[in-house]
Amino acid sequence: MKVPEYFQKMRGSTHTHLPRVNNSEIIWSWIGGFCGIAVVAWLDHLFFAGTDLSLMIASFGASAVLVYGAVRSPLAQPRNLVGGHFVSAIVGVICWKLFHPYPALAQAIAVASAIATMHFTRTLHPPGGATALNAVIGSAALHKLGFWYVIMPATLGPLILLVVAVLVNNIPATRKYPEIWF
Amino acid sequence: MENITNSNRCTHNNEILEVELSDTDIIDAMQHISGYIDITTEDFRELYHLAYHHAIERLLTKIQPKNLMRVVNEPLLADMPLDQAAAILIRSDFKSLPVLDANGCVVGILTDTDFLRWHKANTFLEILLNMADNAFDFNHVYHETSVSAIMTAPAITVSETASFGEIVHAFYLHDRRSMPIIDTDNHLLGLLMRKDFICAWKLITG
Repeated sequence: MKVPEYFQKMRGSTHTHLPRVNNSEIIWSWIGGFCGIAVVAWLDHLFFAGTDLSLMIASFGASAVLVYGAVRSPLAQPRNLVGGHFVSAIVGVICWKLFHPYPALAQAIAVASAIATMHFTRTLHPPGGATALNAVIGSAALHKLGFWYVIMPATLGPLILLVVAVLVNNIPATRKYPEIWF
Repeated sequence: MENITNSNRCTHNNEILEVELSDTDIIDAMQHISGYIDITTEDFRELYHLAYHHAIERLLTKIQPKNLMRVVNEPLLADMPLDQAAAILIRSDFKSLPVLDANGCVVGILTDTDFLRWHKANTFLEILLNMADNAFDFNHVYHETSVSAIMTAPAITVSETASFGEIVHAFYLHDRRSMPIIDTDNHLLGLLMRKDFICAWKLITG
């Protein structure tokens, strides 16, 4: 590729703004996001308050954007939601165990490897990158979990988000979830 | 600003015209679908273009002559007397039959229109009335005349893998209901009926 072509690509190819979704879509995205995160937070408070365990991690916020705000997206489908967090958590924990003496390296390898693994397993889910990163930069209590992190919260949390998504996203006539299960 | 204007793109030797979609077309369509569509107009256009070509390939492959042709069990021979040829034509349930030479190559096609032209008649009723008056002459002439004398030659033929455009062009040149399908050595493979071709295209395109 020639240098001018390289810089030409940076201009972008689409110069028209994509349309804004209608108001009903905005309201149902809000309701879905609220219910999904509320259920996870409530269960976390109910069962794990005062313990070192937690059912909630920040990457679930990003997952909520996809599964309640872009329900048609391939990235928001169940395989990607649950699988993406699951494989990324495994990658994150392995990277912490192997490279924790070099934190910067561990963080970079964790995220990059999570992306590659999600691609390889057809489970690409952007919040998975945060789940892998969280396994490396998390607290000492989180590091103590080891591979339990993969089950709780990295698999259990997305499963709860999924149940809420299936229940809430199918209420409005204009929405349907999922497009495909696996 | 639209980065692509409406224009027609020709594919498959000018057979099928693909209308290129503008950003406005795609965004207008997106607004008719509820929910956030996770794709840019450029990606959609690229997908549409590839899927369109894939669909055209699939459709055109299905309507190739080899998939539509009917088998001719009893083709006519050029030196065959007309009475025998007429009997075969009636038995065949075809309105026309390909005519072969001694080597099995297609040299013409005999259609009911050829009989009308030969009799200088406009309708078969006219032939029937003439025949009632001159039954003996008719029998004699039909027995003495060979197929090659009245057949349409050379026959317009197409290969078994002829494209959509080639078939349409051949039917345009040859104003008959059917057309012989031949191999590379000009040997007969079957008969393509115009109604089968139209029916296949209609079924595929809805």
